[in-house]
Amino acid sequence: MVSIEELRACAAKLLDEGKVKAVIGYRRGSAGLLAEPCVIDQPADTESLIWDPGCVHNLALYLVKDKKAQAASKTPDKRPLAVVAKGCDSRAVAVLLQENFFKREDVVVIGVSCEGTGVVDARKLAAKLKGRTASQVEFDGADGFKVTIGNTESRVPASEILADRCLECRAPSPVLNDVLFGTAVEQRELAMPFTAVKAAEAASEEERWASWEHHFDRCLRCFACRSVCPMCYCPECVVDSTSFVITAETSAEDKANRVRWCERSAGSGESALYHLTRAMHLAGRCVDCGECERVCPVNIPLRLLNTKLEMEAFEMFEYQAGRDVSQASLLSSFRDEDPNSFVR
Amino acid sequence: MEKILCKESFAGWLAALKGYDLYAPAFADAVWNHARIEAGTTPELDHTNTVRSVKEFAFPQREVFFRFEQTKGGAPTLTATVPDPAPTVIFGVRPCDGRAMPRNDKVFAAEFKDPYYWARRDKLTLVGLACAEPHSPNCFCQALGGAPDAEEGLDILMTDLGDRYHVKGVTGRGIEIMVRGSDAFDEARAADKKQVQERHAAARAVGQRGVNDLGKIAEAIRQRFDDALWQDMARTCIGCGICTFLCPTCHCFDINDEVICQSPCSGERVRTWDNCQFADFTMHTSGHNPRHDLGARLRQRISHKFLYFVDNHGTQQCTGCGRCISECPVGIDIVRVLDTVSQP
Repeated sequence: MVSIEELRACAAKLLDEGKVKAVIGYRRGSAGLLAEPCVIDQPADTESLIWDPGCVHNLALYLVKDKKAQAASKTPDKRPLAVVAKGCDSRAVAVLLQENFFKREDVVVIGVSCEGTGVVDARKLAAKLKGRTASQVEFDGADGFKVTIGNTESRVPASEILADRCLECRAPSPVLNDVLFGTAVEQRELAMPFTAVKAAEAASEEERWASWEHHFDRCLRCFACRSVCPMCYCPECVVDSTSFVITAETSAEDKANRVRWCERSAGSGESALYHLTRAMHLAGRCVDCGECERVCPVNIPLRLLNTKLEMEAFEMFEYQAGRDVSQASLLSSFRDEDPNSFVR
Repeated sequence: MEKILCKESFAGWLAALKGYDLYAPAFADAVWNHARIEAGTTPELDHTNTVRSVKEFAFPQREVFFRFEQTKGGAPTLTATVPDPAPTVIFGVRPCDGRAMPRNDKVFAAEFKDPYYWARRDKLTLVGLACAEPHSPNCFCQALGGAPDAEEGLDILMTDLGDRYHVKGVTGRGIEIMVRGSDAFDEARAADKKQVQERHAAARAVGQRGVNDLGKIAEAIRQRFDDALWQDMARTCIGCGICTFLCPTCHCFDINDEVICQSPCSGERVRTWDNCQFADFTMHTSGHNPRHDLGARLRQRISHKFLYFVDNHGTQQCTGCGRCISECPVGIDIVRVLDTVSQP
């Protein structure tokens, strides 16, 4: 079991000794069951850090945000940041390192092992509780969760309310870490990689396209999936309505000639362009933290798009994004033995 | 007008509404949203609240203003596209969404009567359903002057009495559709009315989240415009559009020309939802962005609802539906924001 006291002490020590400017972790939220991300810069505030199955967020996102903020700042604070990272989150840090987004010495990874379980899917839990609202979910130390509703506590097998990404996770312990809390777990019973995407692939091409058209048509284009993704760090996205990389030197003509690839209208065609472009840009980079799917307010099964491409990366190139930080990234490396049957 | 509608007679009422487009909440893709229903069916009305609010029936995410066309050498022609929808009835509107509509009406009529909005709005009949209990832990309608049985903005208020509904016509438009289906209704007796009062009182007595000193919040926001607290509260904001797109009162929009064909030139001028949380919302052509960070954007969202709208229209632009809290990917909580701002 992860000792939260030890984790807090570790975070406080890092801040106390001035090794990091802040610790990005989880604390109890006020909006419901799930934890909320927090940025802690005072050692005393580390007391609010928590670790439970509601710690769903991929905090590597905030490393990206900080890097961008410092790059834009006139008085940048380039001291390292510490981040609490689950297995999937640490893979995101590894991909960012592979891509030279920041340097290894810029980040202290406080690893937490999900051990036998993982994080909760709030929608599954709500369905299971038939409308009753749980106030807290905790690890029970084995393969279950302790769910508190009002004053009563009940035990639920984790497999019933775990997020799909956790059911399919192959590396529940952070492969990249500076310190690790909890027991490192190599393999576990729940590891069923690519289950959802394989099931979805059983449908015919026509059925799949009809299904995706249905989903893209429902898309609100709130861009939460892009905003929450640590890998979506481009300064300007193909679907943005305006250019964010304007400088004082950008001519009026350049601005006027900017190509608008995607209209603002949230029709299925425009939204398909957005989601498929995003999926392609994540090929070989998606660590399956599942955040895009979790945050979608209308429940579009976005993980399927990304895990499909990760399955191809794995089956063709034996590549797992973020698994090995010393490896060159998939799209920037070539091996003689790489398959090339698709070259015609 | 107060009537009783046995649940078996619901289909009979709908059958009498020929010529109307009918909508009711439906649970699909694991979320509640409005869906077309056919006359002769019986809506269950056992929903929590829809993810998307009713605002889109008057203010859709995409509205075509006009079509344009120009052949080479010819004069441009413009074709008006003011909508002419069938009269539309929406069942199961929660009172928080009902109260949102008069607020939207103010915006689209205060200085300029928006023909597109009103072409739809004038055809809309909102049939409300009183909440028996808060459908989310983040409900706070009573803190904003609403109630689980508030009639403001609704044309009809229905109250579930088990095997039957109490149906109260609030406006002429509401009474009109009750009269059309008068065969389906029975008279409401004194005992029914007493039961309705008891149900409403019981629902009001259930605890909700509260807002301290609502009357002082506008001034507090004004005083703390430059306070560091905005930055602090937005530290984990990811800048997506969930809070505003799902909000029943957020109404900001963008206008673009969408070219369908280059030669001969043709296309549409469209209005789409826009969002103060997006960086491009306030970006100038120079590249300067006056609301350059997420703190400034959070401040704008709160200020618009609890300061500027109060100044301009004499009421808050928030009805306490709680969507922005429940659906925020990182737990940013408008009730907590208000408490923080109003603390001395």
